[in-house]
Amino acid sequence: MAAYIFRRLLAAIPVLFGLTVIVFFIMKLIPGDPATAILGSYATPENVARINAELGLDKPMLQQYVIWLGNILHGDFGRSYSLNKPVLDEVLGRFSATLILAGTALVLCSILGLVVGIVSAVRQFGWADRILTFIVLIGISTPSFFLGLLLILFFAVKTRLFPASGMYAIYGGGGILDLIHHLTLPAITLAIVATGVIARLTRTSMLEVLRQDYIRTARAKGLSERKVVMKHAFKAALVSVVPVIGIQAGFVLGGAVYIETVFQWPGIGSMLVTAISTRDLLLVQGGVLVVAASYVIFNLIADAVQTMLDPRLRR
Amino acid sequence: MKSAVLSRALAAGIVALAVVMSAAITPARAQTPPNVLIVGQIAEPKSLDPAVDTAVNDFRILLNVYDGLVRYKDGTLEPEPGLATSWTISPDGKVYTFKLRESVKFQDGTPFNAEAVKFNFDRMLDKNGPYYDTGPFPLASFFSAVDKVKVIDDLTVEFDLKEPYAPFLSNLAYPTGLIVSPAAVKKYGKDFGRHPVGTGAYMFQEWVSNQKVVLTKNPDYWDGSPALEAVVFRPITDANTRVAAMLSGEIDVMVEVPPDSLSQFRDNPAFKVYEQAGPHVWFLILNMKEGPFADKKVRQAVNYAINKETLVNNVLQGTATVAAGPTPPAFGWAYDKKLKPYPYDPEKAKELLKEAGYDGQEITFYVTEGGSGMLEPVAMATAIQADLAAVGMKVKIETYEWNTFLSKVNAGLDSKADMAEMAWMTNDPDTLPYLTLRTDAWPKKGGFNSGYYSNPEVDKLLEEARTSTDQAKRAELYKQMQQIVHDDAPWAFIANWKQNAVTSANVEGFALQPSFFLMLQHVQKQ
Amino acid sequence: MTDHTEASPTPKTRTNRPGAFALLVNNRLAAGGLLVLGVLVITALAAPILPLADPNATAPADRLHLPFTPNHPFGTDMLGRDILSRLIWGTRVSLAVGVSATLIAAFFGSLIGLIAGFSSKRVDSVLMRGIDMVMAFPYILLALSIVAVLGPGLINALYAIAVVNIPFFARNIRGITLGLSRREFVDAARLSGKSRPHILLSEILPNVLPVIVITMSTTIGWMIIETAGLSFLGLGAQPPQADLGSMLGEGRKILFTYPHVSLVPGVMIFALVMSINLIGDGVRDILDPRLRSGALARPVARTAVARSRKPDTRPLMEATVLDVKNLRTEFRIGSTVLKAVGGVDLHLMPGECLGLVGESGSGKSVTAMSIMGLVPTPPGEIAGGSIFYRGEDLVAAKDSRIRVLRGGAVSHVFQDPLSTLHPLFTIADQLIETILAHQPMSRTEARDHALDLLKQVRISNPDERLNAYPHELSGGMRQRVCIAMALANDTEIIIADEPTTALDVTVQAQVLALMDNLRREKNAAILFITHDFGVVSAICDRVAVMYAGRIVETGRTEDILNSPAHPYTRKLIDCVPVLGEPERRLEAIEGLPPSVDDLPRGCAFAPRCPYADADCRHGDIALTATNGGRAVRCIHPLAQTTEETVVG
Repeated sequence: MAAYIFRRLLAAIPVLFGLTVIVFFIMKLIPGDPATAILGSYATPENVARINAELGLDKPMLQQYVIWLGNILHGDFGRSYSLNKPVLDEVLGRFSATLILAGTALVLCSILGLVVGIVSAVRQFGWADRILTFIVLIGISTPSFFLGLLLILFFAVKTRLFPASGMYAIYGGGGILDLIHHLTLPAITLAIVATGVIARLTRTSMLEVLRQDYIRTARAKGLSERKVVMKHAFKAALVSVVPVIGIQAGFVLGGAVYIETVFQWPGIGSMLVTAISTRDLLLVQGGVLVVAASYVIFNLIADAVQTMLDPRLRR
Repeated sequence: MKSAVLSRALAAGIVALAVVMSAAITPARAQTPPNVLIVGQIAEPKSLDPAVDTAVNDFRILLNVYDGLVRYKDGTLEPEPGLATSWTISPDGKVYTFKLRESVKFQDGTPFNAEAVKFNFDRMLDKNGPYYDTGPFPLASFFSAVDKVKVIDDLTVEFDLKEPYAPFLSNLAYPTGLIVSPAAVKKYGKDFGRHPVGTGAYMFQEWVSNQKVVLTKNPDYWDGSPALEAVVFRPITDANTRVAAMLSGEIDVMVEVPPDSLSQFRDNPAFKVYEQAGPHVWFLILNMKEGPFADKKVRQAVNYAINKETLVNNVLQGTATVAAGPTPPAFGWAYDKKLKPYPYDPEKAKELLKEAGYDGQEITFYVTEGGSGMLEPVAMATAIQADLAAVGMKVKIETYEWNTFLSKVNAGLDSKADMAEMAWMTNDPDTLPYLTLRTDAWPKKGGFNSGYYSNPEVDKLLEEARTSTDQAKRAELYKQMQQIVHDDAPWAFIANWKQNAVTSANVEGFALQPSFFLMLQHVQKQ
Repeated sequence: MTDHTEASPTPKTRTNRPGAFALLVNNRLAAGGLLVLGVLVITALAAPILPLADPNATAPADRLHLPFTPNHPFGTDMLGRDILSRLIWGTRVSLAVGVSATLIAAFFGSLIGLIAGFSSKRVDSVLMRGIDMVMAFPYILLALSIVAVLGPGLINALYAIAVVNIPFFARNIRGITLGLSRREFVDAARLSGKSRPHILLSEILPNVLPVIVITMSTTIGWMIIETAGLSFLGLGAQPPQADLGSMLGEGRKILFTYPHVSLVPGVMIFALVMSINLIGDGVRDILDPRLRSGALARPVARTAVARSRKPDTRPLMEATVLDVKNLRTEFRIGSTVLKAVGGVDLHLMPGECLGLVGESGSGKSVTAMSIMGLVPTPPGEIAGGSIFYRGEDLVAAKDSRIRVLRGGAVSHVFQDPLSTLHPLFTIADQLIETILAHQPMSRTEARDHALDLLKQVRISNPDERLNAYPHELSGGMRQRVCIAMALANDTEIIIADEPTTALDVTVQAQVLALMDNLRREKNAAILFITHDFGVVSAICDRVAVMYAGRIVETGRTEDILNSPAHPYTRKLIDCVPVLGEPERRLEAIEGLPPSVDDLPRGCAFAPRCPYADADCRHGDIALTATNGGRAVRCIHPLAQTTEETVVG
């Protein structure tokens, strides 16, 4: 297992490396430069040239990239031009906020998706199945940014049950309850689509598994239907659902960009949007690298869980 | 046996939901504590180092932590003594000598003196200085006229300028001129911006990234200790959210209220609404180098064709007034009150277009999605597009995100575009025309004259006004300039923004400044 | 992301079901979706001729009217433009962009997928690494950067959305191509000298196409959402043009004060995407071979019972442990009814082994699975008859009673031990679970018992094997485990459904010997289902031969082997190779068994029977008892001495 994880991590290195190259050149292709972003109205060519020189942006592109790469290999992510602080500090702070949001959403969508999928499969063609299938479809069909606005409108503005934005109360908050209170709306919004995807997949996998010979065997052994469904069928269905949860992790991380914008969650998604608009190359690099690495790790975890579930994959 | 499965599955779901819902029981309405002012800002500050910052958003915090040698008199844009008690200007306008306030200490206990002042300006201006690497200092050009800073004695400091530079005092009152603690810069280096130390009414306490900046009162403040115990600045980027937070009592003060939300605060006795016109102009740069706007008549036609009253009253909901020329009325002494805005007269516009032989050529219009001072740029552009269509001008809009927009516009409109939105907030009547209307400010020459306006007379007037130390004479020169520019119409003059803010009713002593700064020294909260 | 379709395409099979469109319309939800989408699309297309206000005409004085004001049914926006008009024009734009983006992404994604799946490993891994990179990049940010590079505008947003979604198609299509490229028909094409691109186009593409269509139908809604998302962030349509996302984005600024400005376009996006998804689901149901065949219907815990007539009340034979009377089991698929078991009688004495013999499709397995209600429902159901276990009618028994009997008094051994054992649990888990389901004891005791069972079925190193997973054992060993499982709880009847068919010959013999020993040791009766008379001779006391859902002959094993009375039995016996008689030709039975939904009148075997005459094709032929407990369903039974004449 350790060797397998090591090999997978090794295989991720070229992907991450390639990603930094892509990010670097995309950022260079975008018109405008960090100096203009810093100077705003006062971006005279003279000022721009001065700032660019101070930031080391007047060097040839390739050289800039090599310098950055060298620094990264020494664990130095550089300093953000726009935030005037070390990239790593900002990225880690923001990423932990995203992790709380995306992690909660992921747990939420996994649990709900699995439950809905199972109920739907067990009650195939019954009213529960039809209703759930329809609800799941509604979830998949609602743009998350629109859903976020709706939730804010009804739960934050009209009824004031939940705060409209932020991670902690503006003054005095800070406890875990305060966090959960702020987390509720964005996490639900973020989880909805993924819940639908997981529910649909779980339903299909369960249906497929339920007609396998070993399920007949389980029934022939006189096991209760609960055991047949929850133990024998569910475990087998989970094997094909788990990697998809891993992929959903990627979409949840991506979707967090909208949600963080709508709910003012101080996460890495909204940071990256700002960083792109201020042409803060180092910040974008650091952020994308962390997000991509976490995507790789999420998938690795999913695959590891899959391997744990299915002994046939252990080779 | 089926229902057992079902209930199990449902139970799992309910538990998951319950975890989330349990939080819902906690009360949503938290009242802000007494004597602590919570300010809803529009963004996370970039830094709290005045030499580094460029954004009004950051200035709103800085002015409460630091003082400059001079400051704007309450409610005006005129310099008055700050850390300097008095100053003298040499007759040639090249030597400024400041007497400093006695026994003022930085919040870290180190003394404020002439050495500290010299340290501050050397830090920004001396490329070989030991602390130049704590930058970059984007607005150091405000002081590019400074040749040397000399310490005469402990409480006297002298600035030698390379040439006479009239806006110098005003620039000293600008945040870039605020005085920081040399000891703190030496201690924190590049990180000084996150550990600010000044002489101001409030002391920096903590900065939790993306959540809050907390300032506490400076009991030893030279101008009298403030009444508030603390001020908390919260970044709330989304205007709607800011409104929601204000309505729910989570913040005491919010700035930049969206025009459409103002009325609900006006109608509610729990809130007070403040408005203050500032030195802001919103205009359209017209490309005089190429295309239809090379013809003055077409430029004037645009000025006539746009219904500016409707723009400021409907699109901007009365948060702005119609602009008459390049200088905003907030510069009372330099503004030409005789100047009248171009009236809305589509017939006249059509006539002018006809005279000019305009052939219905398509106009490319650069629009930004948002940016400092840009006031609903997309809605404004769309309305302007419709107005111009009404007089027979076909306008094609291209929207760009702010930094792309700036880099495109600043490089000059040339053959790419005929028209671009722009807005400026400045601290001196010199700045805007000097950077955007002179021939020497054409893009390739290092200015922002992106429409390639050139009028030798305007050039001469501006040079003269800049070097004159006599304010009355300067005023006269600026007024002449406004008349000429108004007639030449290198821009379409649209609006002057009135800054706004809302506080809860129990906040007293609050006032907006024409400088757009937020001065909280005398604010109280009942 | 919308869905992960992993449909494995199978070459098309005949279908007697209605056409695809009719099916789509029959699906009520999909039809609803089609209706809504149809209305929306037609309205959007008709925008130029509808009596709408100019969508771009601003009237700042008329701004922000609420819905239902005169002339503005949906109100006006912040510039006083008519929201209804903008909505319809905007829908037009959003639809066009969503559809085009889907087409572009599908084309390039499928192309990459096809190439990666069909090329050398190196090309594949290079392409897939590239795809991995795109996937690891948060998709909205990627789209955002692309738009930032290309500049704003709908067309550029369209490209960005398409690029971001290429990986989804590429991965999906690659997986399927990879599977297909290992299939026989591709190998065949390769051997016939076709070039690789040719094979890709002529052999693989047609099979991948349905999957591309399914993926597109499930993606298109998602693409519309994403395009709207970019416009929402201000990167799509340029003013004054309306698209749904930019309308939503503009309205968002005044969400709290004038929610209708953003709610109207938001609801429209939802309606559009929802209807597309409903149709997409319908399309998938039609095109996905698994769904189409009904194979994804989930079997319930026990076969449904729909006895139309009162159960048979003829007196039971004394002392039977199992007595099946006139059992009829049917499959209902759509409007067709397959009578898999058409009135079977059989009985089993304690300790006896009865062989139930027939070709595949004869109904022997269905008969056996009906006993404990293990015929999958849907589509199976017991349509008539009774099954008596020691005088108790199992068809009428409660579910809980059946569960006690399953694995207890009545246990099963199935054909393929690899698929019948759960692949994810150890042997110990599966054995212990069986024991604990029926006997109150601790887990340790159960484990000891399980160990004991493995010893009884002569598994070497039973301690080690307990912790093994099924895939780690050999086929024979696995079947021994299954037998051990069947013996776990003092079983009286073992229903063995072709337990040796999947094993190789030497192992077959061992397993048969083992079963024979054990049933004598434990005095358990066996219902032994097989198609192989060779196996029958090795273990069975009596034989019942089935054909087309009915018993055609029954009697003692040696009697039947020596002198089969039914021509079908004769043919089955002739199929068994005899050691030492290599010249004896293995005679396959000519023709195919009849389809059970369309049985011929008279003898079902008549069409294949060399002795059949006109009489055979008239009314029902009864099972006639002859001497010595034998019975035969034939009006021209074979004479005792015909053996030599037939073998030739």
